Amino acid sequence: MIRIRVNPQVCVGAGQCVRTVPEVFDQRDSDGIVVLLASTAPDERLTYLQKAVKLCPSQAISIELDPKP
Amino acid sequence: MDSHIPMADMAPAFPFQRTCPFHPPPQYAAARAAAPVCPVTLWNGKRAWLVLRHVEVREVLSDDTRFSGAMADPDFPAITPARVTVDKNERAFVGMDNPDHDAYRRLFTREFSVRRMLALKPQISAIAEQLLDEIEAHGPPADLVAMLAVKFPSLVMSALFGSPYEDHEFIIRCAVARHGLTQSVEEAEVKARELAAYVRRLIDTKEARPGDDMVSRIIEEHVRPGKLSRDDFAEIGAMILRAGHDTTTNMIGMGTLLLLQNDAMRRRLAADPALIDGAVEELLRFVSPVQYSPRRVAKEDVVIGGVTIPKGEGVFMPLASANRDERMFDAPDTLDITRDASQHLAFGFGIHQCLGQMLARYELQIVYTAILRRLPNLRLAVPLEEIRFKHDMQIYGVHNLPVAW
Repeated sequence: MIRIRVNPQVCVGAGQCVRTVPEVFDQRDSDGIVVLLASTAPDERLTYLQKAVKLCPSQAISIELDPKP
Repeated sequence: MDSHIPMADMAPAFPFQRTCPFHPPPQYAAARAAAPVCPVTLWNGKRAWLVLRHVEVREVLSDDTRFSGAMADPDFPAITPARVTVDKNERAFVGMDNPDHDAYRRLFTREFSVRRMLALKPQISAIAEQLLDEIEAHGPPADLVAMLAVKFPSLVMSALFGSPYEDHEFIIRCAVARHGLTQSVEEAEVKARELAAYVRRLIDTKEARPGDDMVSRIIEEHVRPGKLSRDDFAEIGAMILRAGHDTTTNMIGMGTLLLLQNDAMRRRLAADPALIDGAVEELLRFVSPVQYSPRRVAKEDVVIGGVTIPKGEGVFMPLASANRDERMFDAPDTLDITRDASQHLAFGFGIHQCLGQMLARYELQIVYTAILRRLPNLRLAVPLEEIRFKHDMQIYGVHNLPVAW
């Protein structure tokens, strides 16, 4: 399982994460800032989540592999 | 002895000239092979630094502690004397550091959210179809720049922002006065003031008669509650209008020309529209129309890729170099719409990364798809030698694109 964290404080609302993993990331309707739809994702989404981390222009996303089921 | 001084003599004049219209100046690849950072000399005799590789461009653009993007800083590097003036007078968040940058940008992020832009797609498609109707009715030959590349983003921005379409020629003149390489200081300054004054009047109009557009929404959400002054909104609005016109226009012209030059690629894309998402990213990587931004000034002595950039000196990050970095992209000088180009930096990186990038993506996906579907036998109506490339502009593209079909 993959744990996902976002930091709305540094988000600039570029939308790259929403575009890359739409089932995990969304933008708040009030201000376009990142919001998590899910705080965990199955391991098979790792490639896409790593891509979202890399594409985020302001390092607002971090992921960590959790060995627990 | 100061180790910085001898390099000043070796710093070549910047900007460089292209030798092939489809590729960045060859000096980038040569300098990139030698070192990640290269000193250059600007028109005013000042030294600046080019950061040329993908990794280091990301590093600098992510580093708001040691680099500043404050355009009003007298040390902020500029490509022309006119640009010095417009930078000095820049009041929009593109020229600010944090915390001010984020505070202003956040007033506008929802206007460009993925959801908002997705909702705009039917309108964008209708605009593309309407312009292609006009081109079909006109018949060949037609200048795809004048009849489509210029009008399409203008109509989209008009629908989104709320600026009357009749004003688009004025708005484009203001953008060009900003983005040229040869305009006078006065011309750039006057056009910057005129566009901000135009948006300021538009704000008054929309306050009296609100519509379903960005200006009306921002007035309601941020201006009336006192979170944003009308003058600040006018400056930001002028920036949004400039950014929304010129960049997309150039991607449409240049991207279409590249597809015409690569017939097998064009046929493949026409046959499989699902490739369009990746194709747009690859065209953005390959063209990288924004040539002399982003820029920063070093707030302290900073070592980047083993090279010391002294405090107070300017840094240019030519995105066309990072996007052709062979460390990041295999065969970077080959246009390949099936590659994963998603790590390209055509929209920049860091806190200033393009706010309108999702709009630009959908505009380009829709317009290229529509062109290929509606004009399947599209070809150049003149020899390539008659295409005028924008060597005179900060945003690269083509001035004309006569086509037949």
